[in-house]
This record gives sequence, C-alpha cells and structure tokens, in this order.
Amino acid sequence: MKAVPLPESVARRLDELGEVDLLVGIPSFNNATTIGHVVRAATAGFAKYFPQRRAVIVNSDGGSTDGTPDVVSSSEFATPDTILVSHQLTPVQKIVTPYHGIPGKGSAFRTIFAIAERLGAKACAVVDSDLRSITPEWMQLLLGPVLQGFDFVSPLYLRHKYDGTITNSIVYPLTRALYGREVRQPIGGDFGFSGRLASHYLTKPVWESNVARFGIDIWMTTTAIADGFKVCQAFLGAKLHNAKDPGSDLADMLVQVASSVFDLMSSYRERWAQVGGAEPVPLFGFPHGVGLEPVNVNVERMLGIFRGGARDLHEIWEKALAPETLATVLEVASSSREPFLFPEPLWVRVVYDFAVAYHRRVMPGEQLLRSLVPLYLGRTASFVLGTAGSSSDEVEAIIQGLADEYVRQKTYLSERWA
Amino acid sequence: MKEVLDEVVRKTLSGFNERLEAFGPNLLAMLVILAVGVLAALAVRVVVRLLLPRVGFDRFAARAGLTVVLQKGGITSPPSSVMAVALAWAVLGVFVLLAVGALNLEIAMDLVSRSFSYLPQLLIGAAILVLGSLVSAFLRRSVLIAAVNAGLPSARLLAGGVHTALMILFVAMALEHLGVGRHIILASFTILFGGVVFALALAFGLAGRDLAREFLERVARRREEKPGDDLRHL
Repeated sequence: MKAVPLPESVARRLDELGEVDLLVGIPSFNNATTIGHVVRAATAGFAKYFPQRRAVIVNSDGGSTDGTPDVVSSSEFATPDTILVSHQLTPVQKIVTPYHGIPGKGSAFRTIFAIAERLGAKACAVVDSDLRSITPEWMQLLLGPVLQGFDFVSPLYLRHKYDGTITNSIVYPLTRALYGREVRQPIGGDFGFSGRLASHYLTKPVWESNVARFGIDIWMTTTAIADGFKVCQAFLGAKLHNAKDPGSDLADMLVQVASSVFDLMSSYRERWAQVGGAEPVPLFGFPHGVGLEPVNVNVERMLGIFRGGARDLHEIWEKALAPETLATVLEVASSSREPFLFPEPLWVRVVYDFAVAYHRRVMPGEQLLRSLVPLYLGRTASFVLGTAGSSSDEVEAIIQGLADEYVRQKTYLSERWA
Repeated sequence: MKEVLDEVVRKTLSGFNERLEAFGPNLLAMLVILAVGVLAALAVRVVVRLLLPRVGFDRFAARAGLTVVLQKGGITSPPSSVMAVALAWAVLGVFVLLAVGALNLEIAMDLVSRSFSYLPQLLIGAAILVLGSLVSAFLRRSVLIAAVNAGLPSARLLAGGVHTALMILFVAMALEHLGVGRHIILASFTILFGGVVFALALAFGLAGRDLAREFLERVARRREEKPGDDLRHL
C-alpha cells in the first residue's frame, strides 16, 4: 500500500495530537460561505453528545482560493456569551490540510482516511462542506452507531417523492439486488465509518481511478457491504445544500453514477453472484414523512427524448440491449397508451443489459451510458405519471416493488454476464 | 538461297539461345520469387487470421466502430479476416515488385524503385483513411447521442452531416498526401466548404428571413411557456 503524502506541518501536528476517539472529515473546494456552519455544527455535536471523547475535525482542501481553510481555522461554536449544558473535556482539535492526487472528492477522502488511521480514530464521519441543514444531531447519528459496533453508517435523508430518481430507479435497487442489503441512499454523501474500515479503504488500489474523482460515495457503500463490514443507516432529516453546478447535466450525472456502479459490479462479480434476496439493515434515528408540494416535471419533454431515442439510437441500443428487450422498448415507444407506461420488468432488463454491455465493452463506455439517458427519461416519465396522486409512502412502496423486481431478475443478469 | 535461309534461321536461333541463356536465370528467379510470395502471403493470411481474434482485435474493431464502417461498405467478414486478406495482398504486392525487379530490365528496375519510394505515402494515406473513418464514426455517434439527449428533432441529419464533412476532410487529406491532383483537391475542398457555408448563409439570411424570425420567436416563446424540471436526479 502506497503511503498517502501529508505536508510536513500536518505530520508534526498529528504526532503532537497522538490518539483520538472521533474524527469528522470535511472535503472542500471554495466553500468559505458554508463550511463555517458545518464546522460549528460538528463542534456542537461533539460537545453535546461526546463530551468525554477526544475529537478532531479534518478539513481536506482541494486548493481553495476563497479562504476556506481560514474559515475552518477560525470557526468556533462557543462564544463567551454562549451557555453550554455540556462542555468538551478536551477542546476539539482542527487539522487543515491540502490533499494530493487527482482532484476530486475521493482524493480528499483518502487524505481523511489516512489521518484517521494515523490518529487511531475509533469512529469517523465525513460530511459535505456545503451543507446548510447539518445539525449537531448528525454527529450522534453518524458516529454513535460506530461506537456501538457498526462499521459503516449510511445516511437516510428526508426527500420529496420525485427527488433522487437515479438513486431510486438504478442505484438503490441495483445495489440492493447485487449485494443483498437494503441501504436506501447508497450515494448520500455523508457517512459514518469505523477506523478499521478507513484502514481497509486505504488498502484498495483505486486512488488513481474514477473513485478518486467522482465515484467515492457508491464505492464506500459497496465496499463496506461487499467486504462484509457491519452496516446500518441513520435518519438525518432533510439534506439542504448549495445548488449543484448547472453545467453538470443529466447525462454527465448518469454516466458518472452508472459507470461507478457497473465498475464495482466487475470488481465484485464473485461476491454478488452468491447473493440471493435482500435483508434490511438496522436504522438509527426517527424517520418521519415529508410534505408533497408540487414539483415542476416536464413529462412531455422526457417522452419526446425517449421517443427520439427509439427513432434515432436504434443502432446503438441494439449493441447494448438483448433483441427481445429492444423489441419491447420500441413497442413501448410507439405505443399510444394513456397514461404512458414503461413497465418495471422492462426497465430492470434495460439496466441489466446495459450493465452487461458495459462489462463486455461493446462500445466506448461513456457513449454507451449516454445512450441510456432517453431510456431513463422514459422510465422516469412513466414513474411520474404513475405516481402523480400518490403519497410518499405509496411511492416508497412502488420503489420497493421495483427493487424486488431487480432481485427476481437477477438470474437473467447472471446468465447474460457469464 | 537455301544456305542463306539456313544461316538466318541458325543465327536467329543462336541469338535466341544466347538471350535465353542470359535472361533465363532472371526469369526463373522471378518465378521463384513469385511462388515464394504466394506462399508467404498465404502464411501471413493464415497466421494473422488465427492471431488477431485471439488478441481481441474483432472486439476492439467493434468498439472503435470499424466493424460498422466495413459493414456499411458491404464487407460482412470479421475485421480480423479483412485485415488478414489486406496484409496478404500487401505481402504479395511486395513480392511481385521484387519479382519484376529480378528481371533486371531497366524499365522494371525503374518501376520497382518508384513503387518502393511511393509505398510509405501509400501506407500513410491508407492510415489517414482508416483513422478518419474511425474518428468520423465515433464523432457521428457522439453527436447523434448528444442531439437525441438534447431533444433535437433532426439528430440523425446532424450526425450524418458531421460524418460526411469529416469523411470529406479525411479523404481530401489522404489524396493530398498521395499527391493526387493536389491543387484540384485543395481548390475543390475550399470551394465546396465555402460554397456550403455561403449557401446556408444566403438561404437563412435572405430567403428564409421570415422563417428564421418565426423560428427564433418560437424558441423564445417555448422557453417562456414551458416549465423546466425541478427534478433532482441524484
């Protein structure tokens, strides 16, 4: 295993600190306006829930030019006027360090894992630096289960029924069917994990790959489940954060997410081939429902793109899809059924066929996955039309039904993969 | 009279014998070289045909879009087979040139030397064409997918246009490299592209003035009227 390079000053600081119990890592790049709140919430969480523990906050920065590291260093939770019910016995320490390697969240996490290992941290968490909804309770929910013996805590957020459609239609049901654990939001972004798991992550030879750039979330979740670590979920409430870069469009998102999941399928082929069915994992926190305020969804545009794909992408889809799947997709596209329906079993076949095609490298991976966009929009349009009057619970039941369909058709995937 | 005739025939025959004696070994060498060339070409074909599929050449060709290019040209054999045949012919061609050279005739030697000096250009020209067809096919697919994902109604037309323009560019480059009608190709290419752009500008700016205005108004209206998606996909 190659050692993670750390600046001399940081290495000296780590030597001075010795061992810690808790560590919270915050990757950042130009987040000066929001990171202060995250640091204060973490500090308050340590004081409120873990006053006896030695804790450290690590900011792994990608070369911010807006003074992000300075904000981290200067952010304090308690002012002279603050009255605290409980006090930290030893003050929360802060380490601000640049990370090395390929620019991306994965490289930032790698530095955090290395520091966690060096400090012998028992429980660690990583949280996004642009979070606006983080509260001190998040520390308890992400770190507490680890101190009770769990190795990986996946977040469960409060979301609108139409939020996270890639997660709901691909990532969650596919991960559940492949690895047999019901982790509802595998690409949530804020996780808790044990020091043991951090060391395990560091042994993996992925730090020059896409994991270092954008695939770290699903990689952490999948590695924890597939390598047999104890996994649970924690309900964190709503996740509010800065709007994403408008330049990052749907096709880019889909390519990044799907390629990460499909790459992991190749790595863990032996593991998922042995899994049948899916089991729930323990849940910490107190889940509650969400309001159903109307959300603008342009279904007409989605269907237009899906039908355009059926008309023009035939030559590409026939490389990816099995003949009978393609025939059914074309039938669905030309159907005048009202409301439009893209059946769940067909969608599962489409995803499995694309996973196999990606694995066999029938064409350049990025082109292949970009051609999935019209199919995804067709399925999403069908989902939106079919759940227009449904409550959150009813929609959740539909998503669970889709996840079960993924499990039922897993034999098809195994046969085609071989 | 008969003696004169005998003398002429005898001289002719002895002259032929002398020339045959002088030229015979060269002819024989040419035939031997040709025979070796045929055998070498066959061997190359068999070896390449066996080896390329094993190193995944057909898969690579399919991924790179070469198979589609071949199929569009009416060639349904696997790319490894096509490559084997092409290499076999190239080997045979080299041996034919060597065989012609073995005749030791001035014109043959000249032909051989010209052919060999032209060979690198020919190979580079062929490489430009192959690379061009791969790049064009790749970009055609990228444009097609991007246009479909953007919801453009004439995605296929756009992708086809990009493909054709690129192929014209690469063919022109290959021909220019081979030195075939260098100036004519350059001039044709310039005139063709300039003409297309000029025609489009005229068509859109003058004849389609109203159409252009209507189109832009429609786009602006659609932007105002159609609500965007508030979906968060991740």
